[in-house]
Amino acid sequence: MLPFFQWLESLKFGAGSEYTVASINVTHLLCLVVFIGAVLVVDLRLLGTGMRRQPLSDVVRSAQPWLLGGFAGMFVTGSLQVVATPMKAYFSDQFWLKMELLIVAIILTFFVRSFAAQRDEAPGWLKPVGLVSILLWSFIAVQGRLIGLLQ
Amino acid sequence: MIRSWFDWVDAMPSSIAIREAVYGYPYLLTAHAVSMALFAGLIIMMDLRLLGWAFKRTPLTQVQKQLFPWQMFLMAVSSLTGAVLFYGQPLRYYGKVFFWTKMALMLFAGLNALYFHFTTYKTVAAWDTSDQPPTGAKLAGALSLVLWAGVVIFGRITAYNWMTFSN
Repeated sequence: MLPFFQWLESLKFGAGSEYTVASINVTHLLCLVVFIGAVLVVDLRLLGTGMRRQPLSDVVRSAQPWLLGGFAGMFVTGSLQVVATPMKAYFSDQFWLKMELLIVAIILTFFVRSFAAQRDEAPGWLKPVGLVSILLWSFIAVQGRLIGLLQ
Repeated sequence: MIRSWFDWVDAMPSSIAIREAVYGYPYLLTAHAVSMALFAGLIIMMDLRLLGWAFKRTPLTQVQKQLFPWQMFLMAVSSLTGAVLFYGQPLRYYGKVFFWTKMALMLFAGLNALYFHFTTYKTVAAWDTSDQPPTGAKLAGALSLVLWAGVVIFGRITAYNWMTFSN
């Protein structure tokens, strides 16, 4: 993997401009806010709180565009951050932990949890999924913030 | 006058202890940032309902009342961690334009919510289930969206050293 990151480094994208890197980072954070909001309303509903009087399928459907839009924005800005500061990412334990957990969280959110979209009430097995989803995404956000703080 | 308070806090042994806890700062800042992101996320979901952009089939009062306890819980975590961060480095934040901008934006966001609560929200019974709330509600939602986005942006860039004046 190192040669790939070294190649990214050689592109010098955003190099010399702290402002470019900062704007990408701030945009990534704003996308995260939209995404996590959409994740939370559904997870809270799965746990039987939040918009609990609303059919589950309705909450899921209404949150979906914001979930997908926020995720797409995070994916683009997150990738740009890696391209802009590849060595920082490569040598960060938090970065690699975040990437590994991300795979699990994506499967959980876009495959497992999407079963919820078809029902009005969460089946029993889906309830703990809500809790795991909240904890997992929060932990990923924590690792993301720590990339910039622990080096 | 304000400056002398900051000096006073800065000299407290507990403030010095927080400042000197080398490993404390990254984790404290991270807890603050993540709880803030979760809080803002739930606020924005409510704003989208006010704007008539999402959760259109859910009565507004339901979105508002049922998300409220979670918003307050997350705000408490975020405020508490924010207060400790501030307490540990009062003079660092004193000289930061972005920090004061963030405080001002938070104040406006609070005033916007209060104003909405005591004006347009009074008539909510008439438009609770409407997917297109009245202009006053849409305006409050749009303002909240912009102001909290501003709080997130200025909070994040407070961590950089731009627009920081030594004192």
